[in-house]
Amino acid sequence: MMKAEKAARSSLTAITVIVALLIGLILIFPIIYCFLSAFKSRAEFAAYPPSLWPSSFTYLDNFATALQKTPILRFMVNSLIVSAVGSFGRILLAALAAYAFAYYDFKGKRFFFMLILGTMMLPADTLIITNYLTVARMNLLDNYLGMCITSMVGASQMFMLRQNFKTIPKSLREAAMLDGCGDFRFLAKVVLPISRPVLLTLIVQSFVSFWNAYLWPLLVTNKEKMRTVQVGIAMLTTTSDTNYTLVMAAVSIILIPSFILFIILRRNIVKGIAAGALVG
Amino acid sequence: MDTIGRGAEPLSHNRKKTSFVKACKPYLFLLPIIAFAVVFVYYPFIRTFLYSFSLVNAKGDIMGFVGFENFGQLFQNQVFGMAIKNTLFLTAMFVPLNLFFSLSCALLANKKRPLSGIYETMFTMPMAVSMPAAAMIFKILLNPTVGIVNHYLGINIGWYTDKKFAIYGILLLCLWMGLAFDFLLFLSAVRAVPEQLMESATIDGAGFFARLFRIQVPLITPTILYVVCTNIVLSMMTAGPVMIITEGGPSRSTTTLIYMMFTSGYQSSNYSQAACISVVTFLLTFGMIALAMFFERKGVYYEQ
Repeated sequence: MMKAEKAARSSLTAITVIVALLIGLILIFPIIYCFLSAFKSRAEFAAYPPSLWPSSFTYLDNFATALQKTPILRFMVNSLIVSAVGSFGRILLAALAAYAFAYYDFKGKRFFFMLILGTMMLPADTLIITNYLTVARMNLLDNYLGMCITSMVGASQMFMLRQNFKTIPKSLREAAMLDGCGDFRFLAKVVLPISRPVLLTLIVQSFVSFWNAYLWPLLVTNKEKMRTVQVGIAMLTTTSDTNYTLVMAAVSIILIPSFILFIILRRNIVKGIAAGALVG
Repeated sequence: MDTIGRGAEPLSHNRKKTSFVKACKPYLFLLPIIAFAVVFVYYPFIRTFLYSFSLVNAKGDIMGFVGFENFGQLFQNQVFGMAIKNTLFLTAMFVPLNLFFSLSCALLANKKRPLSGIYETMFTMPMAVSMPAAAMIFKILLNPTVGIVNHYLGINIGWYTDKKFAIYGILLLCLWMGLAFDFLLFLSAVRAVPEQLMESATIDGAGFFARLFRIQVPLITPTILYVVCTNIVLSMMTAGPVMIITEGGPSRSTTTLIYMMFTSGYQSSNYSQAACISVVTFLLTFGMIALAMFFERKGVYYEQ
């Protein structure tokens, strides 16, 4: 009786694992397909019936062409700069505001707090046209700053940091102040280092959101050499008369750093998602 | 007495000065983020509303007030009708389907089993793929001639070229992109349900569905609400995949509101029309979120 139940349970586990693995395979199939297709020649890719596996993994022309003929490395550098500047700015602004909310009592505290959180109610996508006019008037088109300046307000980041700062005892600040430490030094030398786990999560989260942005960078860049990687990759079909295997190679190249980062920082990303849900 | 009095005066003066600086300090900390919020969130929001009631020239200057004329013109525009229909269709399909798939995957992966690390990673992998990269892959994957999906399934559907199916092609891509994120949210919610509760229910003879609908779902309603709200916003704002894969076609079958806003604002410099679309999109989204919040009051369980 016990044995039969145990056997039934373990076979149920086995079935569940197999089902889960199958679903997982379906979900990552587009990614596998992309990587495998990048190793095919144009003729091989167009052959009928289509096959999944390339005849060999030594055909690297697509990768070479993608690196030589398209400014994909330049795109990646652009994205890196925009994401670094953008996430630094967003976290800095959020940390300053969070510090004030955590340590000071002042008139209008609640109002300003709601004013910042209220930005989450207005979807950025509905504001891009008017923001475009503002940024154009500021002469920031085709400019790194222009590509990230509209997304500097991180309401959820501010909220998370405030929650975290509040857990730091106030007596610590009083002691530091008595020793002649100013607010900025206290923030930089004590508060931020203590909040490092949360800070890292928020930086990763912001970096990813800047890295993945598409609509806004598309709107504010005209010059090819200023395009971010997401804008550049989406333009490949129009520029290379739909050379599918070349597109797949280029997509593979930009996916590799994302995957490496994803694997290293997976825990932080997951924590960031859970934290974001708490704010909502 | 005298000396104390003389000494006290500059001190109190000094104190007044420092207390004034002190009173200003928190505002100085807030100034940068408030400035950015006003310039790049609230100001454009107000300006969008003003634009929608005004005549606007190609440079973005307001030339005069026209009342609801812009809206009247927009509602007569057939493309706008299609855009509303397509966007609402996408939202109506995406929100429940995504809820179903991501919750199912989370329930499937709930217990730690052998190999669970592998399939959990597989489920979350699509998160590392950005929208444009995913769009490019799907465009080729679902291509009727060279793509492999139609071949494997033995069907002949022009996923992005047939006006009957193009919107489903976009929906498929959106579902693939949205699954991983919500799966992770549900996984942590489902795992937070107390083990003893589930076990004692099982001993009492509760089956899988009884446990699901009597214990797990009620306990994770806050997460469900969050996922539903974020997905409503996400799908109402669908534009990127449309822009990259179909450019609103074929025969406008995939034109969404934000895509139409983008084309009329950016390509045609018709800013008042773009602003009207933006206002309509905002109000529709806001209305749906309000509706979801209304149901929240009735059904969401918060742990005390």
